[in-house]
Amino acid sequence: MVSITRRFLLATAPGLTGLVLTTPCEVQAAPQEIVIGAVYPLSGAASAIGHDAQMALQTEAEVINGHHNVPMLLGSGGGLPGLGGAKLKLIFGDSQNNPQIAQSEAQRLITQEHVIAIIGSYTSATAVTISQVCNRYQVPYISAENSAPTLNQQGLEWFFRPSPTDIDFSRAMFDFFAAIGKKTGHPVRSIAIIHENSVFGTDSSRAQMKLAQQAGIKVAANISYQASTPSLQVEVERLRAADADVVMPTSYTNDAILMMRTMHDVGYKPKAIMAQDAGFIDPAFLKAVGPLAEGVMTRSSFALDAVKLRPAIPAVNALVRPADDGKDLNDMTSREVTALQVLADALNRAKSTNNMALRIALRATDIPGNQTIMPWQGVKFDSTGQNTKGKPVIQQFQHGQWRTIYPFDLATEAAIWNVGV
Amino acid sequence: MTASLVTQVAIGGLLMGLIYALVAAGLSLIFGLMDVVNFAHGQLLMLAMFAVYEIHQATDLDPLIQLPLVAALLFLIGVAIYRGLIARALGVRFNTGMVQVFVTFGLSVFLVGVAQLAFGSDFESINDVLLSGRTVSFGQIVLPLPQVAAGVICLLAFAGLMLISRTEFGRALEATREDRDAVALIGIDRDRIFSLGWGIGAAVVGIAGAMLAMFYYISPTVGDNFALIAYVTVALGGFGSLIGALVAGLLIGLVEALTALVMDPSLKQVGVFAIYVLVLMVRPRGLFGRL
Repeated sequence: MVSITRRFLLATAPGLTGLVLTTPCEVQAAPQEIVIGAVYPLSGAASAIGHDAQMALQTEAEVINGHHNVPMLLGSGGGLPGLGGAKLKLIFGDSQNNPQIAQSEAQRLITQEHVIAIIGSYTSATAVTISQVCNRYQVPYISAENSAPTLNQQGLEWFFRPSPTDIDFSRAMFDFFAAIGKKTGHPVRSIAIIHENSVFGTDSSRAQMKLAQQAGIKVAANISYQASTPSLQVEVERLRAADADVVMPTSYTNDAILMMRTMHDVGYKPKAIMAQDAGFIDPAFLKAVGPLAEGVMTRSSFALDAVKLRPAIPAVNALVRPADDGKDLNDMTSREVTALQVLADALNRAKSTNNMALRIALRATDIPGNQTIMPWQGVKFDSTGQNTKGKPVIQQFQHGQWRTIYPFDLATEAAIWNVGV
Repeated sequence: MTASLVTQVAIGGLLMGLIYALVAAGLSLIFGLMDVVNFAHGQLLMLAMFAVYEIHQATDLDPLIQLPLVAALLFLIGVAIYRGLIARALGVRFNTGMVQVFVTFGLSVFLVGVAQLAFGSDFESINDVLLSGRTVSFGQIVLPLPQVAAGVICLLAFAGLMLISRTEFGRALEATREDRDAVALIGIDRDRIFSLGWGIGAAVVGIAGAMLAMFYYISPTVGDNFALIAYVTVALGGFGSLIGALVAGLLIGLVEALTALVMDPSLKQVGVFAIYVLVLMVRPRGLFGRL
């Protein structure tokens, strides 16, 4: 016989709450199909990213629903075992990359399509409105690739972000600067920050300013611009005038292309470029600027070349490529795959689509890194819904490919470092 | 901030201004001729850029060499838009102004959709243009050759437009602009003048697009980045005025560049709109407007 102690009550309380809140019809039978919402820019300037996201999420749904035997968590297929083999179904909302439209699309998905969670949304500005709608309706929001650090500090109880934030990313860059400085004897003495002026760029530059200060690195320039600007000539001239060791851009795809083209056109070649991911790792960027990107470094949360440590990468990539116009998994699409995997794992453990049970399961998430395609240590959320085990890598574009150069134990190529040379 | 940096930025701004001016000239021409604001103007620019890109992909022809081809193509598109849509919109009995706004606005949405369908929504860029990566330098001032060439071509296009306005056809344009009903009495085919006007307006944008394609990215929504500036340029220079479009374009390019130099570049359009508001207050018809 079990004696009811205080400890027993405390231990079972979350489960009991789940039972009380579960409606009778959900207890009867596990659903055959679980509807998950995803809000992305499917039209407008960022629609290429939205299309990629759509393909990535559908691929991961196929990994879980079908039979592809991918060596990772829920990779064996056949639906969610915890829910009697229920299949995942995705419904997409088009944010047009506009926070107001994102908000109404999230609302539509929740109230009309009855999605049990929403994944999104590329830009942090749209994530702000979507996550607030989700919080109001008590539906989990899984932030796949929004990286603004303020997002998980809004005090939202239904916000979960497996991806590292721009603070983590920027910290990785400065860790790399310190490490490569020690290794080569050519440390970074000054940086020039250039960023687009929405929440993504502004948060990123703020973090970089702070980290530079802490590291005793001079900030020679801090320039902000509008991503849709017709010209970046003056901005590039100001970078040239600043003459910093490292140029640190935070840009979306179109402005990243224009920046590299403009630098090339005016004959300015920075000693080193350390990009804040986003536009710089978009395959469209590489296609558009080609060899001009050679030597550019970026932080990344994904390492396509880390196949030794993450055996699932080739299998998932083989499924994504044909779906996504032959594009390899990248930093964005890999995190979209992982966001759905994290949500599916929580659903599977919750054994229910009830929102409270799902939140408890998400809170208890603990996925080891090698069960994902990410180079992270794993996925485990803190009280704000931020993954504490996501550690970014630094990559460099070498001979037409992104190569991991830091942390040194994960590196597949040595860094090409022109600072101080 | 050195003098050479300021000069360099100012010249760069003026070169960009020439492109703004040429984009605006096409808009201004159509407006001046028939009081129709073409809300699909940015999309014509986008079509021209994609045309250059696709021809370059297929034949490797440099954008500079493609210039006459793209201008001719856009001329045909302009004529087709007039014949297929605008002429019909002009024929409605009431609220003609509104109908024209909605027709051209609808056309702009349609063209973006068509471009996304046909070319995809990725950003494209032509890297191996003849002049790419080459610069001309005067002392410490280094100017990218593609932009310089674009500026020269834009000036030539303006000269061409000025010449056209002096010909028999130009006088017919002017007459039609002044009184579209009276010209019919003296044997000018109004419909023909209007479609030629649309053709030339679109061809001019085609030239600007071909020049932009040498150094700017290409995507279905690229027109938006230039359309707003074009409207401001036309309003600033005076509706229907060619020389107004030129002066206003140069002014906007210069102010934009200098604002970006002394202030945060994300505020560079503040300078442009400040001048615009000022002109609207002091001289509502624009710098060279006659209306």
